[in-house]
Amino acid sequence: MASVRLEGVWKIFGNFEAVKNLNLKIKDGEFMVLLGPSGCGKTTTLRMIAGLEEPTRGRIYIGDRLVADPEGGVFVPPKDRDVAMVFQSYALYPHMSVYDNIAFPLKIRKVPKQEIDQRVREVAELLGLTDLLKRKPRELSGGQRQRVALGRAIIRRPQVFLMDEPLSNLDAKLRVKMRAELKKLQRQLGVTTIYVTHDQVEAMTMGDRIAVINAGVLQQVGSPDEVYNKPANVFVAGFIGSPPMNFFNVTITEDGFVDFGEFKLKLLPDQFELLRDVGLIDKDVLLGIRPEDIYEATSTQVKTQENVIHAKVDIVENLGGEKIVHLRTGGVSFVGKFPAESFVKENQEVDVIFDIKKIHIFDKTTQRAIF
Amino acid sequence: MKKKVSFSRSIMYLLLIFLAFVYLLPIWSAITTSTKSTEQVALTTPVTPVFPPHFEAYRIAFSELKRPIINSLAFTVFATIFSTVLGSLAGFALAKLIRSTTSKKLLVLITFGVFIPYQAILIPLVRIISSLGLYNTIPGLILTHTAYGIPITTLLFTNYYYEIPDELVEAAKVDGANPLKIYTSVVLPISKPAFVVTAIYQFVNIWNDYLFGVVLTRGEEAMPATVKLANLKGSFVANWNIQMAGALIVALPTLFIMIALGKYLIRGYTTGALKE
Repeated sequence: MASVRLEGVWKIFGNFEAVKNLNLKIKDGEFMVLLGPSGCGKTTTLRMIAGLEEPTRGRIYIGDRLVADPEGGVFVPPKDRDVAMVFQSYALYPHMSVYDNIAFPLKIRKVPKQEIDQRVREVAELLGLTDLLKRKPRELSGGQRQRVALGRAIIRRPQVFLMDEPLSNLDAKLRVKMRAELKKLQRQLGVTTIYVTHDQVEAMTMGDRIAVINAGVLQQVGSPDEVYNKPANVFVAGFIGSPPMNFFNVTITEDGFVDFGEFKLKLLPDQFELLRDVGLIDKDVLLGIRPEDIYEATSTQVKTQENVIHAKVDIVENLGGEKIVHLRTGGVSFVGKFPAESFVKENQEVDVIFDIKKIHIFDKTTQRAIF
Repeated sequence: MKKKVSFSRSIMYLLLIFLAFVYLLPIWSAITTSTKSTEQVALTTPVTPVFPPHFEAYRIAFSELKRPIINSLAFTVFATIFSTVLGSLAGFALAKLIRSTTSKKLLVLITFGVFIPYQAILIPLVRIISSLGLYNTIPGLILTHTAYGIPITTLLFTNYYYEIPDELVEAAKVDGANPLKIYTSVVLPISKPAFVVTAIYQFVNIWNDYLFGVVLTRGEEAMPATVKLANLKGSFVANWNIQMAGALIVALPTLFIMIALGKYLIRGYTTGALKE
């Protein structure tokens, strides 16, 4: 087991900068998720750690060992890095049985036959593949292939697991099941794992920490709670969460209100102070609020509380366990997540409360979060 | 239930039957002529069959062609194996070991090699083979056909290997395999369709070659069957029945290969490698 460290890593293809100055430290035994939209450089980062790509600049360490440093002329090929990788397409060897697929990394390393046999059986037992050992990959279901690919990775007992969207080819139900199994397995084995995905639910549920990447630039690293509740910038705030965070173009007024144009909300005193400190009073800023932080107001709240907004219901999406409600006030549209018991109907008028404690304010020019 | 055959369809069938007839006519003529005696060849038209058939022409043709057919089999089999194996190795290197932008540029150059006309290289070829002491030898023919075959076999294999997902090779790299090991334990076992297609193509081409054979051999000891076949026609008399019998005998190995492996040929041309 080992930590993985990336220092100022760049990857440039022709004139396309896939990864820009990435600094990231993955702790020993940690489950780190690289999250971002497709083409953001997360897979390239993983491939550089695996040794399938050479960085253009920067240094990569696995444990204490420098494995890539183009300036220093260091490049350790994948076979000598002691990492195992699970590919999106599984990349099982089509002509080999499940047994031979799992045994392959050990055969390459000339491990004695008896030990190979023992370890293949252990891994098969762990992954529930014992009855399938003689089958060929084409005779397996998607979930079974996935487990064979995992088996081939874990049999080596490598320093680091690298996983490139391993669940994206499975159907929704199986994905949820494998998500939990994979997490459990990682806990059990305690191997440092770097997991690439574009699925924020996978990232939130599996990761010890999440590194959000966009356009080759690391946006934020933190625990799932941190990136969800304290997004560092507009991108992270909008990328994580479903339905996504609502954003509004607003101005902060001298008297401590947020002016939406159609309506105003009273800021908390410390929020106002913070905004005054950074000099955003009377300036245009971006306000973000998550759908679950917009509540339906009770009749007493309407009379007693501030920050009640009268809105019209455009569309109600009933998900069974909750309702996604699309609302509108004048020209301002937003989405709320209401409990299933809510009686809201389309075209109805409704009073909603913006939970002012939960709002986020972003500087429009830097896109960075103030809070 | 009666199926209605449309007018245009019946015209198309008539046309196809006519074309098939035209294509098969020379073969029919070869079969009828080969089963005639010398007098019958002179007295009947080339397409008229005779009854009972004579097989004397086959006996004579076979005794004449025996040695050249063995020669042909020897160099064809070896040159096919060598050019196919080398093409596979080169194809693997081009498709999977170097950047595809580089390999595509190299492939253009290799494609030129496929289109080099035989005639253009005859004189240097004969001089090189002679200086190597391989003139009029089976190894000389093997070397020539192997070298001339490598561009096309490389091209066929490279295109086949482009179809194999890169991830398969990358998985083997991460699993700890070196390039040779990746080739032998991952790529080679799934290359059967490409090997069959390329080997058939090479076998048929090398077997049917006349020009290299005629310039690189002198006597019977290395002469290919195709060259001997042309020599069956004497300077003063043309024994058409013996020539036709010889032609049919020489066509047999390629015919046999096509019948035995033809299904792989079609499969090899159509399958997209490893869609799973």
